[in-house]
Amino acid sequence: MHPLIHLALSLPSWQDEQPFLVTGLALGGVYALSGVGMIVLFRTTGVLNLSFGAVGAFGALIAWQLINKSGMNQWLAYLICVLFGGVITLAYGMVFGPALARRDALVKTTATLGLTLILLGVMDLLWTSNGGMSRSISLPTDNHGFILGQIQVTTTDVIALAVGVVITVVTTLFLRYSKLGTAMRAMANDREITATLGVPVRRVEAAAWFGCGIVAGLSGILLADLVALDATTLTFLVISSLAAALIARLSSIWVTFLAAIIIGVVDAAITPITSLTNYRDMTPFVLAAVALLFLNRRRTLSLARQEF
Amino acid sequence: MASTAQLTSEARPTSPPSAPPRLERGFWMRAAIIAVAVLLVIIVLPQILSLYYVDAMTQVAVYAVVALGLGVLVGRVGLISLGQAAVLAIGAWVAARLLFATSLPYEVVLLASGVITMLLGTIVGLPALRMRGLYLALITLMLAGAITVVLASLNFPNGGHGFSGYNGALLHIPPLRRPGIAQTDPAYFRYSVVVAAVMFVLVLFHVRTKPGRAWAAIRQSEPAALAAGINTTMYKLWAFALASFVTGVAGGVLAGAVRYLYSIDFQTQDSITLLAVVLMGGAYSIWGAIVAGLLLQLLPAILNDIGVSPDWLVILFGIGVLQVLTTAPTGIVDQMPKDIARLARFIGGLARRSSTAKEPAP
Amino acid sequence: MIEVSDLTVRFGGVTSLDGMSVTFESGTCGLIGPNGAGKTTFFNVLSGFVRPGSGSVKAFDENLLAMPHFRRARWGLRRTFQTEQAIENLTVYENVAMIHEHSRLSSSTRQDDVLGAISIVGLDDVTNTRVATLGAGQRRLVEVARAIVGKPKLVLLDEPAAGLPEAETSHLGEIIRGIPEHTGAMTILVDHDMSLVSSCCQNTAVLDFGKMIASGPTAEVLRNEQVVRAYLGAEEAA
Repeated sequence: MHPLIHLALSLPSWQDEQPFLVTGLALGGVYALSGVGMIVLFRTTGVLNLSFGAVGAFGALIAWQLINKSGMNQWLAYLICVLFGGVITLAYGMVFGPALARRDALVKTTATLGLTLILLGVMDLLWTSNGGMSRSISLPTDNHGFILGQIQVTTTDVIALAVGVVITVVTTLFLRYSKLGTAMRAMANDREITATLGVPVRRVEAAAWFGCGIVAGLSGILLADLVALDATTLTFLVISSLAAALIARLSSIWVTFLAAIIIGVVDAAITPITSLTNYRDMTPFVLAAVALLFLNRRRTLSLARQEF
Repeated sequence: MASTAQLTSEARPTSPPSAPPRLERGFWMRAAIIAVAVLLVIIVLPQILSLYYVDAMTQVAVYAVVALGLGVLVGRVGLISLGQAAVLAIGAWVAARLLFATSLPYEVVLLASGVITMLLGTIVGLPALRMRGLYLALITLMLAGAITVVLASLNFPNGGHGFSGYNGALLHIPPLRRPGIAQTDPAYFRYSVVVAAVMFVLVLFHVRTKPGRAWAAIRQSEPAALAAGINTTMYKLWAFALASFVTGVAGGVLAGAVRYLYSIDFQTQDSITLLAVVLMGGAYSIWGAIVAGLLLQLLPAILNDIGVSPDWLVILFGIGVLQVLTTAPTGIVDQMPKDIARLARFIGGLARRSSTAKEPAP
Repeated sequence: MIEVSDLTVRFGGVTSLDGMSVTFESGTCGLIGPNGAGKTTFFNVLSGFVRPGSGSVKAFDENLLAMPHFRRARWGLRRTFQTEQAIENLTVYENVAMIHEHSRLSSSTRQDDVLGAISIVGLDDVTNTRVATLGAGQRRLVEVARAIVGKPKLVLLDEPAAGLPEAETSHLGEIIRGIPEHTGAMTILVDHDMSLVSSCCQNTAVLDFGKMIASGPTAEVLRNEQVVRAYLGAEEAA
């Protein structure tokens, strides 16, 4: 009982929780953004892009370099970051997408770890973390905001949550009503059959890769601002979005959104609880593990041959 | 009916077919090769290498065992774990805790850290096994992240008291003890190689006997394995347990090798790098694990020695993963002899062509 | 004796088996029907890979569906698959011995049993050869050997002759006809090669769109008008 009593006594008041809830919603929004980006690519190509975080981190570091070392206009630098995400992801998809098209989803996903390692290595070479120098990105929107009740909400927080909502709504509409979206849904079902229907499979895949990369770049900037501009941190923040996507069983966009928000909020809500605060980053794992245990009870056997 | 009778007479051969030996000859052959190789390594290497490289080779022994465990999962059963470095950290933590808390012989500590890590690994594996491969890979990646978090807050034991054995205020941190027979670095190197060899034989024994055959069946087709009466869940769990056990023992060896453990040295990224080198070395092959250990520990030591940033290695491993997955799924160990043979044929072909070209035309 | 009653399997909107009821008496029985009729689904129900929505299967007075799937092999259920499933990295001997190992059969007779099964299918020459080096026909025989080793009660053969040349098919036919005598097991044979089915099976049942449309002595069933129509539908109408 002792630890439980201790926990109950150390629970923060609603007053103390409020600012953390704002942070949680903002982070949840970005996790939703990343999660939806990954799911759309997965449904279209069968690739779960684990390099998502590394791509975002690389883009954010490029933006930092352009702003602080070359004196470039901020917004232009952020645009370049987002485009970098799109281009590098597209390039990977064009080279390794076809090469691995017929392989198991597990192989396709493992291959993206190759890109992750390459990006991590290059980032460590170019932006060494030696000397304790810390870098940061601060969006101009950090300085604007309003007071809600008694807590300060920055425009960045609002934007972060908004992009999460917007991507969820827009992606749902896009998949349902646009020609490209319909093609993507068809490919999620069966690539070969979709190809025989005259859908330009390669072009649809290219669109998915590029879109996923753009989203990675955007998430990279937002997370660099909200969390920290650090290659390893940003690379593995992908785990939070991954957990959201997993809870949605890699298919439902709305469940991904909800799960991402919950992960963001729970993670933040634990922060002021002293006995748990050190363990708050376990939230995505714990939630995903619990969800998978309950959701994955029924499984079907696949007659397909395992790879590896 | 006539055809049945004919079949019987046809089917019974006059000479009895050769009966295969119970445990393949290959097993004892390999065990013997391992023994000879181990002897050579532990006698010769400490003589010719500097202390710097002896230490690096101790790490190679540790990580070869970790790669061996991951190789069982990836190569034999077809399960991808992205959290094996975290499992190693658990083994090292348990060993360090026991080394500070008890005066048990080092071998007992190794065994205990293997068994405790095995239990933890199996508990984690249990739910994960209900999932398909991709989900398992992702959940282990998250687990690696979670263990990194716990370690960062719990810290490695440093001689303090309580469950964690960590005391942040300690001024003089005692080093972890080593076995009595292996106090010096070269001696500890020998000790590590022998422990690693025992782990190799243990895994080889599994692979060559009933569980190995069951794993081969599961890897090829789960329904067919079930139809053959194989309890697939149990055998997958067994693979998890074996991999966790050898990794836990490796963690124990690691504790005595470095003597001071810091949670900062165990990162989520390491699990990914580990998978990368296992794939590059060749997950199907027992020898691939040694290649993986060399890639992971000797190569950085060499680069460090000649003043090249180890970041280049991370890039190399990334390229290696992509190369292996797209072109050579069996890894270096399997690919090299083929490449060499191809090269030899190519050179042979060139030589023949040039010799025929030199022949004077009549 | 296998008594199947009112077996129904649905995948989403598709009904693969629709109230299938049939009794396989003894010996070697055929199960035929056009593509997609539900034959493999029926085998998958027996193996435990597919859980039926309703219905029951009684095999030698035991409720087969209540058994965990991996235990059915131990009980004596064996099968082959349409896609080749012999394990490439193991030798022929190891492939066959695996069934024995996991069926709780006495290990003292293992070697004799395994070599016996290998010799029934005529693979004595390649006993210690890795399956990866064998041709398609021999791999099929490895699977048959796996199905008959030890003491099977019920052997399910799923299109064992598919894609085999005529000579190999007739060799296979001889082996299948020998199963009752060698093992005493009941066999259910699914195949599209009617001459193989009629040469191996005393009785045959016919599935069409998940329903049993006929069963009885093979020769009669094959003359049955409804069966002919189900098979040749389009050509008959023309």
